[in-house]
Amino acid sequence: MKTLSLKNLAKTYFDPYAGSHVNAVHDVSLNVEQGEFVSVVGPSGCGKTTILNMIAGFIPYTGGEILLDGKPVREPGPERGVVFQSFALFPWKTVLDNVGFGPKMRGVPKAERDRIAREYLALAGLSHAAHRYPNELSGGMQQRVGVVRALANNPDVLLMDEPFASVDAQTRMTLQEELTRIWQERKPTVLFITHDVSEAVFLANRVVVLSKGRILDQVEVDLPRPRVWDDLVKDDKFKQLSARVLQMVRAA
Amino acid sequence: MEVTGSLKRRSPWLARSVSSLAGAAMFVAPLLALVAIWAVVVPLFDINPRVFPSVGSVGTAAMDSIRDGTLPAHVGASLLRVGLGTLIGIVTAVPLGIAMGVSPTVAAFLTPLFRFFSVLAGIAWIPIATLWFGYGFGAIVFVIFNAVFFVVAYNTLLGVKTIPHTLRNAASSLGAGRWALLTEVLLPGALPNIVTGIRTGLGFAWRGLIAAEMIATNVGLGYMLFVARDFYRTEVIVFGMIVIGVLWLLIDRLLLVPLERATIERWGMVRRA
Ligand SMILES: Nc1ncnc2c1ncn2[C@@H]1O[C@H](COP(=O)(O)OP(=O)(O)O)[C@@H](O)[C@H]1O
Ligand SMILES: [Mg+2]
Repeated sequence: MKTLSLKNLAKTYFDPYAGSHVNAVHDVSLNVEQGEFVSVVGPSGCGKTTILNMIAGFIPYTGGEILLDGKPVREPGPERGVVFQSFALFPWKTVLDNVGFGPKMRGVPKAERDRIAREYLALAGLSHAAHRYPNELSGGMQQRVGVVRALANNPDVLLMDEPFASVDAQTRMTLQEELTRIWQERKPTVLFITHDVSEAVFLANRVVVLSKGRILDQVEVDLPRPRVWDDLVKDDKFKQLSARVLQMVRAA
Repeated sequence: MEVTGSLKRRSPWLARSVSSLAGAAMFVAPLLALVAIWAVVVPLFDINPRVFPSVGSVGTAAMDSIRDGTLPAHVGASLLRVGLGTLIGIVTAVPLGIAMGVSPTVAAFLTPLFRFFSVLAGIAWIPIATLWFGYGFGAIVFVIFNAVFFVVAYNTLLGVKTIPHTLRNAASSLGAGRWALLTEVLLPGALPNIVTGIRTGLGFAWRGLIAAEMIATNVGLGYMLFVARDFYRTEVIVFGMIVIGVLWLLIDRLLLVPLERATIERWGMVRRA
């Protein structure tokens, strides 16, 4: 089992302009098991992005440790796929080449990585867009590409930082439903970060509530799958869970 | 507008050739008007050919220089110098610009220097270039190199600095190492600025070339103008000036503009000059 585990993780930023230190993350301990979908929810500024960037290896941590499959992580690496809020697609590559980028970095030959990329594009209903450039796609389509680009690299864990925050509300619901469907098909390990309580509950097996750089509480979400919004908006259990998490976040 | 709009939908290729034909006509029309005025004014005021040539004499000079092979020799020499100097300039400037761009400290330190030399690029270097390389090929290629180098290096640096950091993060979390980061992210990401730099640098280089050739050599378009002056051959001078202008337009329209189209516009990247 490839467990992602954070042990007493801490981050202190130094702000050179103010000349002072900011404790963004204090003593966060968390395990994400293989095949689990964990949402981290909390108000803006509570340290969500900082935690994700440390796991991704984009910034160093100042205390504790991060282990993946028992091995400490420090640098970015292909076993931790990242989906960015700003999509971060390569504008100079076609959709097909964006999705095939990870396999290319592993040295997979062109024909094989095109096959892989097409398979994942089909998974996201994007086969028709293979030869387009990112700037020719809508925001929703771009983020679908962002998600399958990370998945096509077969990471041990998928890290997502508010990936649907910059698309319109209708598209966001569709993307959320698609993500749960893809998760059910492939069972990737996901750490999903959001400030949106209902999004966190809708997607996850477990919701972690973060406040001022600390874990406040965790809530198991044992709602049946597949999950679709039309059903869940009427579901009492979903409403109860969401209300509970919302209360924690607001108290945070 | 209406016509181009509906054409665009049915046949983008046809629409583009129609609109580029229209563009070419708009471009050529004022030049033809200028030639027409010239053809009327010179005989009308009976202007001395030592002051300004007639249209016909320039035509004759053109035919003569093509027939006796002097024009191809001058054009060939000039293009070779520009080509070589530009090539050396690009090949050295792009790696340096990228190296500077990835290190903020190096970039901050060198930026004012490169700004300074970008402004100075080209003509101002001719005297010292002739001291270093003697009169001839070396000095001229150096001036061209110089005009291209600083502008391209500075623009490359600028290009690398404007690549969003998340793109680098995305690449490295997909498994890109240092080399892949360079070839897959930094180079294409900086390309819009590199192309802008090359366009600006070549503009400097072309002017620098003509000036340097007047001073430092015995073949080339600049030399052709300069020698004709000694013999009051205004028709050769004017013909040379026309060749210089037309060649630049061809280089710009047939080489640089299509390069910009193929990259920047296709990718939807705005040029950040
Ligand atoms: N590079 C930085 N330098 C200094 N302080 C930072 C930096 N990045 C984030 N912070 C601070 O750390 C805290 C957590 O930020 P962040 O992780 O972005 O929160 P979230 O993603 O939950 O909104 C905030 O107080 C923020 O101002
Ligand atoms: Mg954030």
